[in-house]
Amino acid sequence: MTDVVFPSLSKERDDAEGVVSTWFVADGEPVVEDQLLAEVQVDKVAVEVPAPQAGTVHLLVAEEEEVRQGQVIARID
Amino acid sequence: MTITDRPVVPAPRSSHRLTTSKAMVEAIDLEMAANPEVFYLGEDVGAYGGIFSSTTGLLDKYGPERVIDTPISETAFFGVAIGAAAEGMRPIAELMFADFMGVCLDQLYNHMAKIHYESGGNVKVPMVVTMAVGGGYSDGAQHSQCLWGTFAHLPGMKVVAPSNPYDAKGLMTAAIRDDNPVVYMFHKGVMGLPWMAKNPRATADVPEEAYEVPIGQAQVAREGTDVTVATMSLSVHHCLDVAESLAEKGVSVEVVDLRSLVPLDREAILTSVGKTGRLVVVDEDYLSYGMSGEVVATVTDHDPGMLRAPVARVANPDVPIPYARSLEYAVLPRQDRIEEAIHRVVKA
Repeated sequence: MTDVVFPSLSKERDDAEGVVSTWFVADGEPVVEDQLLAEVQVDKVAVEVPAPQAGTVHLLVAEEEEVRQGQVIARID
Repeated sequence: MTITDRPVVPAPRSSHRLTTSKAMVEAIDLEMAANPEVFYLGEDVGAYGGIFSSTTGLLDKYGPERVIDTPISETAFFGVAIGAAAEGMRPIAELMFADFMGVCLDQLYNHMAKIHYESGGNVKVPMVVTMAVGGGYSDGAQHSQCLWGTFAHLPGMKVVAPSNPYDAKGLMTAAIRDDNPVVYMFHKGVMGLPWMAKNPRATADVPEEAYEVPIGQAQVAREGTDVTVATMSLSVHHCLDVAESLAEKGVSVEVVDLRSLVPLDREAILTSVGKTGRLVVVDEDYLSYGMSGEVVATVTDHDPGMLRAPVARVANPDVPIPYARSLEYAVLPRQDRIEEAIHRVVKA
């Protein structure tokens, strides 16, 4: 099982909050390594989150929900 | 515990969901990989990735010789693109906003669009002109226009405007491979950009491989029997919203996504109106002398007797697009005006 964490986008603030703008996969979907899972943003900076490994993805937060940097947003097993 | 904000259809395999902007970039990426003659140029298309994410990642993959950041001189870099195309390359040149057409229009409509004709068919200009269009996010009168009617009015170029990721990828592939100049107009509101208003219709599963959506073919985005709503680009989303809500009230709305203004799929318009007998045209461009009149004339030129009620046109009134959000929403063809027009036509 691998955690997918919200990437660090703000260097000044470790506890900066952002949102998952878009999930590109459905809960429970099989994914391949490096597949685009989500686009996340802090303020107006957006980055893509790829799958660290293949497996079945479980989404832990909803789109537009406030999330801290480093927080686990999905698991893959 | 797992949470998703809305139920998603379970996918039996790994999906390939993309936003419209990512689908557009993927089409460009695949064509650039397949054909060394394809290159992209424009303002902020390199490191910035396009101000509406039309080129994200392409510079890293193809380098500054094939993804070229240009100075702010549209006449110059459209001239570069036209010359390269005339010599057999396949440039994609980005006009940052359709609103800026005025600073390079001679290059576009006197040169790009006419070289093939003036050379007696001997010289082809296989290029794509991409541009961001549309309003709804308070960007003012010089950054919110669609202006596709203006391009479509001038002979010599094809004009397309996708409304969703699948069409964005397929129309871009078709545009790059087309031997004619193609104006590819992407509405900022359909791109699925994280910093714009959330639009669930801007994300969808698309095939991973390259494919073409034929230029000049409309698509019925939703079937219905009471009234035809012909539209394109972001207005397709608004019309689908209205069609879904009216279905609960017993009104069956057929939404026709034109996808392309040049060539215009007149047969698709006639087929749909032949079925419903009623027509509403929704156009985010200005009302007069534009797409809405052209669609209506397509029907009346053929047979006015097809219409069982007067048509309605929902477009921008002939005024500059306001900056103030409340005024802008009053001017743009949004759900409230579309629904009102449909009611009027259905009850007539």
